[in-house]
Amino acid sequence: MTPAASAPGQSHRAAADTTGGLDGYWRSLVTAAMLGTDRRDPPDPPAGPVADLVADAQRPDGASRMLAAVGAVAAARRAAFVPGPVADAMQPPDPADQVPADRPWCSSAAAATWRELVENWPVLEDEWMLTVIERGASLPPDVLVEALARHRSDVVRRARVMLAAGPVGPWLVEHVPELAPAGTRRPSADAVASLPELPIPPDLAELLHRDAHTVSTHLADGFAAGAFGPPDRAVLVNLVARCRPAVLPEVATMLERTGVGHALMLADLARLRHRMLAELGVTP
Amino acid sequence: MAERWTVEQVAAVAPAPSSIAAAEGLASPTTWVSLGADARAAWGRCRGSGAEPYETMVDHAEVAWRCSCPSRRLPCKHALALLLLWARGEVPEGAAPSSVASWIEGRDRRASRDSHPTGRDAAGDTDGGSDGSDPPADGAPDRGDLDRARDERVARMFAGLVELDRWLDDRLRTGLSDPALARYDTWDSLAARLVDARAGALANRVRRLAGLVGAGPDWHSDVLAELGLLHLITQAGLRIGQLDGPLADAVATASGWQVRHADVLAGVPDTDEWFVAGRSDVREDRIEVRRLWLYGTRSGRWAMLLSFAAYQQTLDDSWQVGTIVDADLHRYPGGSLRALAGRRHADPLPLAPPAARSVAEACDAVGTAVAAEPWIERYPAMVRAAPAVHDGRWVLTDHTGSLPVVGPVRSLATALAASAGEPVTLTVEWSPHGVTPLTLHLDDRTIDVGPRADPTFVGAA
Repeated sequence: MTPAASAPGQSHRAAADTTGGLDGYWRSLVTAAMLGTDRRDPPDPPAGPVADLVADAQRPDGASRMLAAVGAVAAARRAAFVPGPVADAMQPPDPADQVPADRPWCSSAAAATWRELVENWPVLEDEWMLTVIERGASLPPDVLVEALARHRSDVVRRARVMLAAGPVGPWLVEHVPELAPAGTRRPSADAVASLPELPIPPDLAELLHRDAHTVSTHLADGFAAGAFGPPDRAVLVNLVARCRPAVLPEVATMLERTGVGHALMLADLARLRHRMLAELGVTP
Repeated sequence: MAERWTVEQVAAVAPAPSSIAAAEGLASPTTWVSLGADARAAWGRCRGSGAEPYETMVDHAEVAWRCSCPSRRLPCKHALALLLLWARGEVPEGAAPSSVASWIEGRDRRASRDSHPTGRDAAGDTDGGSDGSDPPADGAPDRGDLDRARDERVARMFAGLVELDRWLDDRLRTGLSDPALARYDTWDSLAARLVDARAGALANRVRRLAGLVGAGPDWHSDVLAELGLLHLITQAGLRIGQLDGPLADAVATASGWQVRHADVLAGVPDTDEWFVAGRSDVREDRIEVRRLWLYGTRSGRWAMLLSFAAYQQTLDDSWQVGTIVDADLHRYPGGSLRALAGRRHADPLPLAPPAARSVAEACDAVGTAVAAEPWIERYPAMVRAAPAVHDGRWVLTDHTGSLPVVGPVRSLATALAASAGEPVTLTVEWSPHGVTPLTLHLDDRTIDVGPRADPTFVGAA
C-alpha cells in the first residue's frame, strides 16, 4: 500500500513532540550512537530524572552511561504514546450511474462459500460471481479485496469483480495500487456477462437439461458399472458445474450411495453448488 | 488419557533448539513401529540408522524418558519425536508392553523410597544410592537434582544477562555504523549464547532486532531504542530480587524464565464472558506464533492466548474471532496479558462488540500498559476511526487524533473497503511502529483481517 508501507521504520512519536526536550535529546543520542562513544562523547542529558539515572549508571564509562540514558529515554518516549494530528477524511466513493450504490453485501455464509470454492472448486467461481451480480447483491469487503488480488491479470473475471463491487471497487483500486489490474485490455460485454463454456462430451451434454432422476441414475449406474474412471473426472466435474440446479440434491445423494471415490468427490461438488445457489437466493 | 502436552511444552524440555529440529524429522508415524500410549507413558520403536530400531519410552506424567540410542543428550531426539507425536494425537492408546511397565514400576518404587527414606538414605549415604534397580539414566531427577538444576539455571541466566549488557555496551562504544551490525551472524551468535543461558525470550528479541538493521530510513533510531530496552531488561533482571512481585514476574518472563503450564493452571481462574476480539499470526524463527486477544466483557480487561506451530503443525482454531466464550482463563504471573485457557462453561455465541474507544483513549490505554512494562511489543485496542492518509502514511483517524497503520496490505485494504471513508470499529494490535488492523466489527458481520500464517508452513486444522 503506497503511503504506509513505504515507511515501516518511521516513528509516530517523532511527529508528536509532546515529551518536551526528550525528542531533541533522543536525536542527539542517535547521532552519537551512529558514531560510537569511542569517537564521540555521549551528549549530556537535560537536567531531571534521566540525568539522575545516568549518574547512577553501574559503570562510569561513556558507553555505559549512554546506555542508561538510551534505555530511560526509549521507555519514556514509548510510554508517551499520544495521537498524531487529526487527518482529513477521505472523499467517499463516487456512485457510478450504471451501478446502484445501495446493493447489500452478500451474506457472510456466501462469502465463506466463495472462499471454499476458490480453494477447492474454482470451476464454480464464475457462476458465484455472476449470480451475485444478477441477484443485485455486492461483494463484502473481504471478498472484494481477495478477488481483486486474485484476478489482477484476468480481465474478464476482474470486470465481473468490479461489477459486483459497486462504486467502492474503483475507489479502492485508486487508493490501493497493489490491487490495480496488471493490464489495460478491456473484455467484451458478452464475455463478462456469460458463463464460460466448459468441455462436455455429447453423451454427457444430453444430461444438462434432463430431470434429476435421469441424471443421477445415469451417473450412479456409470460408476457402478465402472464406466467412469479418473480420465472422466474433468468432464464429470464440468457436467455437475453446469447441470440444472434442481437436480443437484438427488445427484449428490445417488453419487454418495455408490461409495466410489470419484463419485463421492462429485457428490461434494454437487452439494457445494447447491448450497452456493441457496445462499445466493437462486434455489430454496 | 492424561492431559496431552502442547508442542511448546515439548520444546521446553528439549536440551537445545537443534534437538527439537532433529526430532521434527522423526515425528512421523511412518518412522515408528509399536507406537502406544496410556495415561502414564508413551512408547514406540524408532527406525534409525542402526540395524535395530531404538526402543523409546517417555513418562509424560512424571516427566522422564529412556531410549536405547547412544545419545548423551537427554531427552534425545527420539524421545522428543515421540512426545511430539503424542502431543499431536498421533499415538494410539494401548496397554503398555512389559518393558515399559517394568520401567514405570521401577520409577515408582524409587519415588516411593525417596519419599520414605530408609535409615541409610537418611544418613546421607551418597555412594550412588543404588538399590540395584534402574540406573538413573532415564532423566528422572530427584528433588535435590531439581533444586540444583534450578540454581544452575538461575546462575546461567544471570551470566547471560551480564554478557548481554556488556555486548550492548560494546555496540554503543563501536557505534551503529559498525559494518558488523549488518551481518546476521553478529546477532545470531549472541542469540545462540542467550539460548544457552536459558534466556530464550531475549534471544528471540535479539533475532527480531537483527531484522531492523537497514529496514527503513530511521533504522538507527529503532535499533537504538531496542538496545535501550534490552538494557532495561538486563538491569531489571540482575536486580530481580529487589523488585516487587508482579514486576519481578514480568521481568522474569521478559528474560525468558519459563513457567510451567501446570503452575499457571493451578492459579485462580479469571472467569468472564470473553469476547474474541482479534487474531494475529507471526513467524518467529522456525515457529509460527498465534496471538488471540480476548476482551473480558464483565471485567473490561484484556487477555492473550498464545499457540505455537512448527512446520506442518496446526495452530489453535478453537477460538473464533467475533464470538463470545464464557470460560475460565488462567493468567501468567506478573502484569502480562498472557493466559492459558481453562474450562469453557458454554458454547461460543456471536456478539456485538463492546463499545470501541476513541483514538486518544486507545493511545492512553496503550501508554499506560507500556509505562508499566516498557519492553512489551504488542498491545490490543478497540477503536472507532476512519482510514485516511496523512503526510503520505495511512492512519486511522477520528476527532481526537490519528494512529499510524502498519501491517499487510490486505488488512488495510479490507478496512478501507468496509469504511468507504467513514469510521469503522476495529480491533487493532499496537506495536512501536503503528497499529495493525486485526478485526473489523461491522453491523452484520465480523471480518478477521489479522496477519495470517503461511498455509504452506502450518498444517490444516
